[in-house]
Amino acid sequence: MRLLLAVAGLLGATSLFAQGNYEIQVYGAETVAPGDLMVEVHSNFTDIGQKHLIDGIYPTNHQEHETLELTQGINNWFEVGFYIFTSEQDGHGTQWVGDHIRPRIRVPDSWHWPVGVSLSTEIGYQRPVYSLDTWTWELRPIIDKTMGRWYFAVNPALERTWHGPDVAQGLVFAPGAKFSFDFTKQISAGMEYYADYGRLTQIDPLHQQQQQFFLATDLNVSPKWEINVGVGLGVTASTDHFLIKCIVGRRFSWGKHSQVE
Amino acid sequence: MGAAFAIRNAEARQVPADYSIEISPHSFEAAPRRTIKTTAYNSQVPGPLLRLKEGKPITIDVTNRTRIPEVLHWHGLFLPPELDGAMEEGTPMIPPDARVRYTFTPRPSGFRWYHTHTFAGRDLSKGQYSGQHGFLYIEPRENPGRYDQEFFLALHDWNGHFLGSEDGSMEPSYDISTINGRVLGFGDPLRVKTGQRVLLHIVNSSATDVHWVAMAGHQFQVIALDGNALPRSTPVPMLRLAPAERVSALVEMNNPGRWILGEVRKHIQAAGMGIVVEYADQSGKPQWQQPAGLSWAYSGFAALGTAPARDPAVVEIPLVFKSKFEGHGNLDRWTINGKSFPDTDTIALHRGQRYRLLLKNDSDDDHPVHLHRHIFELRRISNQETHGVFKDTVLVDAHTQTDVEFTADDPGMTLFHCHQQAHMDKGFMLLFRYA
Repeated sequence: MRLLLAVAGLLGATSLFAQGNYEIQVYGAETVAPGDLMVEVHSNFTDIGQKHLIDGIYPTNHQEHETLELTQGINNWFEVGFYIFTSEQDGHGTQWVGDHIRPRIRVPDSWHWPVGVSLSTEIGYQRPVYSLDTWTWELRPIIDKTMGRWYFAVNPALERTWHGPDVAQGLVFAPGAKFSFDFTKQISAGMEYYADYGRLTQIDPLHQQQQQFFLATDLNVSPKWEINVGVGLGVTASTDHFLIKCIVGRRFSWGKHSQVE
Repeated sequence: MGAAFAIRNAEARQVPADYSIEISPHSFEAAPRRTIKTTAYNSQVPGPLLRLKEGKPITIDVTNRTRIPEVLHWHGLFLPPELDGAMEEGTPMIPPDARVRYTFTPRPSGFRWYHTHTFAGRDLSKGQYSGQHGFLYIEPRENPGRYDQEFFLALHDWNGHFLGSEDGSMEPSYDISTINGRVLGFGDPLRVKTGQRVLLHIVNSSATDVHWVAMAGHQFQVIALDGNALPRSTPVPMLRLAPAERVSALVEMNNPGRWILGEVRKHIQAAGMGIVVEYADQSGKPQWQQPAGLSWAYSGFAALGTAPARDPAVVEIPLVFKSKFEGHGNLDRWTINGKSFPDTDTIALHRGQRYRLLLKNDSDDDHPVHLHRHIFELRRISNQETHGVFKDTVLVDAHTQTDVEFTADDPGMTLFHCHQQAHMDKGFMLLFRYA
């Protein structure tokens, strides 16, 4: 999920969504194994972003975002994630931004579907100095497929503001997609795409849309670890222009599992 | 050894055979409302028990009623390559709607089995993933064991699908696991009486998975591995069977009740791998006593005393197993000494020579490797010398070395391979030839 920040008046535009930059990730369909806890730290730095204070919202330029994501596997088709968003910036120090909760279900392996499919929904709050839309909701279908050395994932997400100036916008279409190639067992690399097209019923003009491409690599050093590093370019006026992201995740199993478990 | 040959079609119909096996599509109910569509022998899973007598010639007709060429491997028998049942050795495939008559003199005695030996690839309904497996027992001229009743049990996994595994590649995973084609509680129980000595012959016919089985309230007295008598029979709480391995074990029926004989690992027993053992006049819910861990060691059945020193006349053949990554969405490719079948080197053997295979597993997976048409002796497991245990399939644990010795006494092309279907399909095979 990408935390949505409402920014008004950017480059003469009316109200629109700005780049999230808190959790920059295209989801795969797999859920965390039952009983396991996945702990992820998302570190994102906006090197070239919005430089002005608009409607009391801090600019994104040179913001360092640290997000802690905790995901607990409940059974083999259900997990619940919880996020703590923080931001660090010269002049503003380190601040808590908000929290989200994200239940997710998936099609179990025993259904033998040819693609991985899951559906996540995310509800959360963010402070007004980071987003005028303080309560938001997201519905994210997730479809992925591994074919030989290639991996493909698409997240055609829909987002909605529950409290804030964009309540009237209704559903917003904010898809993400990814492909990668396994160069070795440990190193995969490819492209990630994040966008926000605006209202589902009325797509924004291109310069008001967010369009961002990341060159990213996944390092599969161990089944317990998840590492993703990337650099992103925003290609429209409404998108932060240059970001660096890093995700480090570690899987933990509760208790001691014997060989018979 | 008597004459051994195969004849085809019209010639095979003139005189009735001792046994007939028909390979055909088959549907069966493994669990309530869980029908499995597969290919089986004589429309049953497992196939019929073939009970042969050591040294007595036998004729068996095999008819292929499927749409694809098939081949049937007589696992553990000393047969010439054209009959053994591996096209890599030169056994002709049985075309659709063809019948082949096999005539041979069965040996060696003991618990063997028969199964398909075809390629499956990514189709987890073919090859060893299917129901093409059956028991074959060659009665010895003199029976050394005393027992009151015997049962033949086949462990199998069904409805496979590929999942990403911890080692980064795809591996088959299964929805249903059965004993003799039924999930726990669905098939008939094994009916026994107090005071009986019951002989269990168990084969793991799973295409890929190792299984551990225990019988609540009882222990196993293992008397043979892969059909070969052991020098020492030690009571054990559970059995481990890698794909293609067989265990023959006596159980003293001295604890009346209704018990579960089943997979030790909880999720596999929950998938169905178990069978009820029912004493006469006993009722109630079958009982299971969950072992805390897994235990098994080949060396527990080895001959006592120091293993004989290495004979310098024995020729060593190092075989190193490695995997080659081909993508997180693929199965690994497998190599022996750096080469993948059919590009592996064909190794020359000299008749009468004794060989020591140094099986070095440099991969993250355990491999049940099988030598066709011969029996080998376990001589070293990891760093422990051993002797006296004879087998045709041995599980070589990941990142360990196991040494086995055999005498080249059965001329002809001889296949050596991992019995994990997904591994043999991806190149884990090589051939020995007699010079």
